[in-house]
Amino acid sequence: MSEPLPASGARLALLLGGLGLVVLAVSLGALFIGSARVPPGDVLAVLTGRIKGVDQVVVLSLRLPRILVALLAGGALAVAGAGFQALARNPLAEPSVLGVSSGAAFGVIVAQVFGLGGSLVEAVGLAACAFAGALVAGGAVYLIASRAGGLPVHTLLLAGVIVGIFFSSAITVLISVVDFDRLGGVVHWLLGNLSPIAPTSLAVFAALTAIGGWLVIGAARRLNLLALGEESAQQLGVDAEGVKRRIFAGAALLTSAAVAFAGPIGFVGLIVPQTIRLLLGSDNRVVIPAALLGGGAFLLLADTVARNVIAPAELSVGVITAFCGTPFFIYLLRVRAADPHL
Amino acid sequence: MIRLLTAVALALTLLPSPAGALSVTDQTGRRLVLPAPPARIISLVPSVTEILFSIGAQDRLVGVTDFCDYPPAARRKPRVGGMLAPSLEGMVSLKPDLVVATTAGNRHETFEQLERLKIPVYVVNPITVADVLDLLTRLGRLTDRADAADRAVAALRERIQAVADRVDGRPRPRVLYVLWPDPLIVPGRASLVSELITLAGGDSVTADGGQGYPRYSLEAALARNPEVIILASHGSEKSPLTRDKWERLGQVPAIAAGRLHTIDGNLTHRYGPRIVDGLERLARLIHPEAFDRAAIR
Repeated sequence: MSEPLPASGARLALLLGGLGLVVLAVSLGALFIGSARVPPGDVLAVLTGRIKGVDQVVVLSLRLPRILVALLAGGALAVAGAGFQALARNPLAEPSVLGVSSGAAFGVIVAQVFGLGGSLVEAVGLAACAFAGALVAGGAVYLIASRAGGLPVHTLLLAGVIVGIFFSSAITVLISVVDFDRLGGVVHWLLGNLSPIAPTSLAVFAALTAIGGWLVIGAARRLNLLALGEESAQQLGVDAEGVKRRIFAGAALLTSAAVAFAGPIGFVGLIVPQTIRLLLGSDNRVVIPAALLGGGAFLLLADTVARNVIAPAELSVGVITAFCGTPFFIYLLRVRAADPHL
Repeated sequence: MIRLLTAVALALTLLPSPAGALSVTDQTGRRLVLPAPPARIISLVPSVTEILFSIGAQDRLVGVTDFCDYPPAARRKPRVGGMLAPSLEGMVSLKPDLVVATTAGNRHETFEQLERLKIPVYVVNPITVADVLDLLTRLGRLTDRADAADRAVAALRERIQAVADRVDGRPRPRVLYVLWPDPLIVPGRASLVSELITLAGGDSVTADGGQGYPRYSLEAALARNPEVIILASHGSEKSPLTRDKWERLGQVPAIAAGRLHTIDGNLTHRYGPRIVDGLERLARLIHPEAFDRAAIR
């Protein structure tokens, strides 16, 4: 691996500030665009509290929480992807590719069968079920794929596919036994579906994203050392196993929070960190925080397209991310996966 | 002479050919030849199960699906599995002489497999209220319960007319009907629920949406300023249709005015006789003022 660029505080701050502005711009745009066609002047009037009624509901109760869900879910999935990629030393590792999203989705549907919904306790329970599913799926993939020398690219992908298929089948079993009338909603949810969620759920989502983000971002420097090889890292005083466990827990937590509150949206964790790596190099101290902001902006952009392109009907945002993600995946598989520096 | 000819023609279309065989056309226009009036029927459709019970033909019903939960006695009939993948073996072992299936919810493969096994399949395809009444009549003829079916249809028509009389001439409130909240799924064009809302004296704000039951943008629906919002509930379990999510949108006029209601989806989504119960409840929710003093039933 080439020497990581010195991530001087000023350079990093400038970069993150710039990305923050992008996030702000996309959020403002999303606040003004929608199928209800609220005139821009009225959106401003709502924001300054001069208009009430339906326009206020549309802007503040529908668009704003949905924007926040998109930012959180996109950021969480992108950081989870960056974490899994650093952990597996594999550019294609990503929550949905690794089957971790499917595990979390299974947990969520189990929780829904038991009727967990919107209150604070229930939101935590929902996330806990998703986290359990994500841990089981991630652990299974690791056990299946690990060889003495590490995690070979193709074995890891195949293990992810197999575990993903297993949990998808388990989800199908659950869907078959729960009430027929609920089928339509669950199938849409599985495609990835952003919607305005309750403030309590939003708070739980934000807290979990903060914890998961801290677990991964806080270990970025040690991840850089780990990329030099475990032995060298250990000589430099890094507890390799501890770092790996921390990243795994953080990435699984981020994935499960995103799945619990936004649905299993694929490919965000692939597109965003890899694009940042292509543009800015592979210093995890830059890539991971940038992924947090970039992932949010990307998913919000995708969701704004999804909810407007066939208005008044809506697409699932997962469809948009999959259309963006599959060509990207093929590119990485054909061009970059052979490159050991990724 | 003409009367005789008519009688013969009628006999030919309805009932026996010399061997006692019976030729019928199902609701999709397919022609079936049955050796005799069916005495062992399997229903793959919850609404057909309801209809057979309502016209007193339940003794001929030998098998139902896991979803046939009404009337409660239907639960005691042998079950053949779900609607999408009923058990072929289970069906064959019940020795049916007719299986009733639907284009909405069953798979075409099931029809073909049954026909390869020489089990006749009667396919129903109800979309409108008229189709539901037609289905009652047809199933009555098929099970020798024509009189009971005709009486049931007449009673249902009377109740539909009673609702029409009550809501006639009143302003038509804009109604948002929520089949599923998240993602929002609503009744669109050419759907039973849209028709029921119209019959109940309301205007569905999503009636111009896609065919059947499309996905719809919540903000687009709210921008049409519905005066009444009706949430369908599904079964007994605590579903994600809980009202609190909607009550947070308190600035929406319908909700602020206390016109957020729930209705049992089994009454409005199933193509059986209970759609008229559903119609009456919808009418009461949309036009409470029309039902202030007297009840229709």
